[in-house]
Amino acid sequence: MTDHFTTRREAAEQTKVLEEPQGQGDTSTAREELGGGLSAPPANRTVADEGPMAAPKSGSSADAALCDSAPPSEEPDAEATTVEEPVVSPHPYATQLRNERIAKEKRLGARRETLLYLDGVNKTFDGFKAINNLSLVVQRGEMRAIIGPNGAGKTTMMDIITGKTKPDSGDVFFAGDVDLTKYDEAAIASMGIGRKFQKPTVFEGLTIEDNLRLSMEGSRSVLETLFHRKSGKENDLVEDILEETRLGERRHAKAADLSHGQKQWLEIGMLLAQDPELLLVDEPVAGMTDAETEETARLLRKISETRSVVVVEHDMHFVRMLDVKVTCLHEGTVLSEGSLDHVSSDERVIEVYLGR
Amino acid sequence: MIFAKYLGPRVWFLVLLLVAAAILVPMASLWLPRSHPLHVPSYAVPLIGKYICYALLALSLDLVWGYLGILSLGHGAFFALGGYAMGMYLMRQIGSRGVYGDPVLPDFMVFLNWQELPWYWSGFDQFWFAALMVMVAPGLLAFVFGFFAFRSRVTGVYLSIITQAMTYALLLAFFRNDMGFGGNNGLTDFKDILGFSIQAPETRASLFAASCIALAIGVLIVGAITRSKLGNLMIAVRDAESRTRFIGWRPEYVKLFAFTVSAVMAGIAGALYVPQVGIINPGEFDPVNSIEVVVWAAVGGRGTLIGPVLGALLVNYGKTVFTSIAPQYWLFVLGGLFVFVTIFLPRGIVGTFDHGWDAWKARRASKEREMGEGAAEPAPGPAE
Amino acid sequence: MTVSLAACSFASFLRTFATFFTLLILSFTTLPATAQDAAAPADASAVESAEAATQDPAAIVQSFGGKQSYDDTEEVISRLAATGDPAVARALRALREGDLYWRESDEAVFIAARDGDNYALTDPYTGEEAGTAPRGDMSKVRVKNSIRNAVTGALGSLTLRSDNPGQRMRAANTLFDEANPDMIEPLEAAIEAEEDASIRTAMEQARAAAILQSDRPEEEKAEVTSVLAQRGDRQAQTYLNAFAASTEDDAARVAATSAVAQIQSNINFWNQAQNVWYGLSLGSVLLLAAIGLAITFGVMGVINMAHGEMVMLGAYTTFVVQELIRNHAPELFAWSLAIALPLAFLVSGLVGLGMERGLIRFLYGRPLETLLATFGVSLILQQAVRTIFGPTNREVGNPDWMSGAFEVGLMSVTWNRLWIIVFALVVFAGLLLVLNKTVLGLQMRAVTQNRQMASAMGIRTPWVDAMTFALGSGIAGIAGVALSQIDNVSPNLGQGYIIDSFMVVVFGGVGNLWGTLVGAMSLGVINKFLEPYAGAVLGKIVVLVIIILFIQKRPRGLFAQKGRFVDA
Repeated sequence: MTDHFTTRREAAEQTKVLEEPQGQGDTSTAREELGGGLSAPPANRTVADEGPMAAPKSGSSADAALCDSAPPSEEPDAEATTVEEPVVSPHPYATQLRNERIAKEKRLGARRETLLYLDGVNKTFDGFKAINNLSLVVQRGEMRAIIGPNGAGKTTMMDIITGKTKPDSGDVFFAGDVDLTKYDEAAIASMGIGRKFQKPTVFEGLTIEDNLRLSMEGSRSVLETLFHRKSGKENDLVEDILEETRLGERRHAKAADLSHGQKQWLEIGMLLAQDPELLLVDEPVAGMTDAETEETARLLRKISETRSVVVVEHDMHFVRMLDVKVTCLHEGTVLSEGSLDHVSSDERVIEVYLGR
Repeated sequence: MIFAKYLGPRVWFLVLLLVAAAILVPMASLWLPRSHPLHVPSYAVPLIGKYICYALLALSLDLVWGYLGILSLGHGAFFALGGYAMGMYLMRQIGSRGVYGDPVLPDFMVFLNWQELPWYWSGFDQFWFAALMVMVAPGLLAFVFGFFAFRSRVTGVYLSIITQAMTYALLLAFFRNDMGFGGNNGLTDFKDILGFSIQAPETRASLFAASCIALAIGVLIVGAITRSKLGNLMIAVRDAESRTRFIGWRPEYVKLFAFTVSAVMAGIAGALYVPQVGIINPGEFDPVNSIEVVVWAAVGGRGTLIGPVLGALLVNYGKTVFTSIAPQYWLFVLGGLFVFVTIFLPRGIVGTFDHGWDAWKARRASKEREMGEGAAEPAPGPAE
Repeated sequence: MTVSLAACSFASFLRTFATFFTLLILSFTTLPATAQDAAAPADASAVESAEAATQDPAAIVQSFGGKQSYDDTEEVISRLAATGDPAVARALRALREGDLYWRESDEAVFIAARDGDNYALTDPYTGEEAGTAPRGDMSKVRVKNSIRNAVTGALGSLTLRSDNPGQRMRAANTLFDEANPDMIEPLEAAIEAEEDASIRTAMEQARAAAILQSDRPEEEKAEVTSVLAQRGDRQAQTYLNAFAASTEDDAARVAATSAVAQIQSNINFWNQAQNVWYGLSLGSVLLLAAIGLAITFGVMGVINMAHGEMVMLGAYTTFVVQELIRNHAPELFAWSLAIALPLAFLVSGLVGLGMERGLIRFLYGRPLETLLATFGVSLILQQAVRTIFGPTNREVGNPDWMSGAFEVGLMSVTWNRLWIIVFALVVFAGLLLVLNKTVLGLQMRAVTQNRQMASAMGIRTPWVDAMTFALGSGIAGIAGVALSQIDNVSPNLGQGYIIDSFMVVVFGGVGNLWGTLVGAMSLGVINKFLEPYAGAVLGKIVVLVIIILFIQKRPRGLFAQKGRFVDA
């Protein structure tokens, strides 16, 4: 009987292939995008590409995986303990976990420029290697786009970072020395990692305003919610976010009544309310119109001014709009990393995408 | 009453109605002459009181099912536990008036040749202790059970089945004579409650009033919970549980809180039920009873405050009427009710009414807007 | 394309069910045949008695009648011994005790016991009651010590020297149970002559038992304790215990005690084996009840609260089939279960099909509502059956091949439980075949894994759903046929199994039939192992608690599907 269900994965893989013509990640689209990318002049050198690309430690496998990006010699010393001002967020933090961590970081003063650090991460599902020796480093304040064909392990990677899935092996560190594999989703979310899902998941039975209020950074005590009173600070924040996401007019509407694009925006708004240091965004523009896509790119760029963002996206047009460093995943491992032009001219990336 | 404005006029009407019933029905039963058209016959008082207890039980289920999406098929167990706690108090009140005349031991223990009262029966001669246990016993069971179930993220039908297994296990346990709860026969032949004869019309009227007040308070408590931020969080957990985790909430705590509160309410309902019907036996743990509670809430409309109350009253009144006419067909009707409600009336009576009302209002509003806009600028496209 | 696929799939359904049935029916048609094999030893004993009849022991017994010399009596004794028929032992023993009489009127011989002024008579050969007779009418067959010794010798040699090995074995076992010190010498003689090793062992054990009862030296008794220890059953333990308690010789007591301990461990082993057997038996019942549920719940994600009623319908189908056979064709009774099987499958399957088409298909994606609606159906079905057949238990008979028991070591195995285990495994294997080797199975798996994809490939998913549900319900129906053999057939039959079945599926893991098998068997065994310590009810409660705790560790059961597509 086990046999009945082992084909599950294959079937699902097939589905993905079939589903693609409807989805954003259409291979043909990707091909076009890449083709466009190849022919375009390398005008958009990203900041990340030239800027301080601090890897956590020289000689680590993270480095090995990063070999396609700028050569290590160009990078400044990874261990540099330059004292930076703490990232100033527009919203006050209240969560204890997070404050404790920030205090600790100050005390240690180590690796503060690296916000997210994955090294040698492996995850196998029933013999299928979803993540294979994956190494990835995201800087504080950096926005990173992650591309890759279906089954490249993008979603599993996010699951691992947010605590939904525990890796079989490997290190996952947040803000220096917080080992994320030891925490569950709620704890990781409270530390300041927000996640937007591929399929917009909002609380359909609640109004838009209540969706935002629930996401809002603050106490997560259940008893507190029973006696909770709305504060002026909270109201201000809700106003800000409603304005930013342009949902102000529909604030009292049930989330279930929103259009697809509006739901995506509401979810981004919920992330803003959560005020994370690191945002993981899974295919934010899937199913959006061109105008909405552009607006989303603007919003994400704005968000990334104050925090780190990791965007998983199929839409190359959108990735180009983001204008950031790109990591290409394939079969659970980093295939190529660098500017979009660098990545899209990489032989192996082309091979993966075009199936040469 | 800070949340007064959130509850809405309908709920306040229900609360006032219950308070009025608590005062007027006993008066109409005790003081109006039999010939008076408004006289409430004495047999009807405990009968309606029983319905009111069922309504409280349905409301407690609604708190977890309607607002939190946990379909408990074991709420009858909490109801029965509360009932047993009250029954134990009533048994101790019998004193030496039992058949065997033992001053301490209940009849069934004398019958089983028990020499002394088991430790867990001590304290139940005090009303305050029994009243405390009415809440603690179901609450504790719900807390421990919920702690394990919710922590391991057992959800959906799995959870329903496990709750059913829970009440089934208790059913088996309470059937055992050596559990010390009267075995098959349960606890019965009660004499007094708080020194008043349990058969006296005045006592019955008081119990009726107490049930009404308990239900009114229950409605207010559930209203307060569901209208608070916690209520929003409960709905969020119901709609997208894993999403709440990713914004830092722990749905298991939300569930544990609501489940425990709900179990305590069910226990209180059971405690008020037992003196009015005069018996508590293991049959109350029967999984079928628990599922029947679900259909009350479903008929009335889950996720609303008045729905479960209405549903419990309607279905049980229907049951009383029907079983007196054609008892062998009642199960057909009940079974049909399950099918009918799930297929044709998934929102229940109140929910369907509300939905229709909202839709009508929305249509009228959009029409008005259209007309307003139409006056301002000519022929806009149809509203999306 | 879709049309041809649909047509093809319809044909495949027919083939699927045909395969399934052929398997089932094959499995059951072989049953009566094997049952006859099992009855073979009985035939053999019939042959023996025919042999004995040539010498007619009953007639020889009668020749004790009339006035006889002691020599005549002794001669009759030796003639009786020569028949080798164990049944004459009754008469011989009566003779030895002085209870054998003959009637003066017709010289008929009886065993007589005083009953007031009369004798109560028994036939000396058959042991049947033969009325009473006035004391004056009866004369005692005279005995003296030499006659008594002759009887004792005869009693032993009588059967110990029989030509028939089965009879010698029985004689040895009887002598073991009697443990008569007088029999030591005949036994020794028989041991000397015996060629069959297993019979010789039995004789040696009988001798050992006799020695313990005798007044022989303690050393000799101590020696034979090991022989008894090897026998290892409760009777041997009783002898040894008595000996250990009475002996004054320390060495002998130590030997006896250690032999007792050895036997105890043997008994414990068989007790465990018996528990495992009971557990497997319960497990197979659970498997039968749960396996259909595993399909509807596991494959379709549909909670069918009316599953127990499908089982109940199967049991009532068996009842109806047996009633018809009793009234119209009693000679077919041995075949009643084989006839009921396909009918039960059809009845329950059709009801399931009707439920799926009329109800469940409107509720896909709403599991809790499905649960409630199917519960409503279960109430209706129960009440319908109660209305038609009445609320009381209906009697479903066991065909001959399902009755009786046999011994394995120290445990007893009943045929009906054995057949149900076999049947459960056959159903399980058949279902595996259906899922793995038929088009319906393939389509079912495809739909389980990816509904849209399967639909896109031209599989008519609603039809597959309906067929899956019908299959699951039909299997519940044939489970009902099996359960009718060991449980009361009443409208509540199904309710007793539904919660246990759910526990099996939850414990075993959803979507995996092997999980259901392992889950059912382990729950059955755990239950039976707990029962001696906790009692049946408490054992069941403990099992429920264990499952609730187990789900803490493995929320998706023993054989959970793993992978990133399983949504947490």
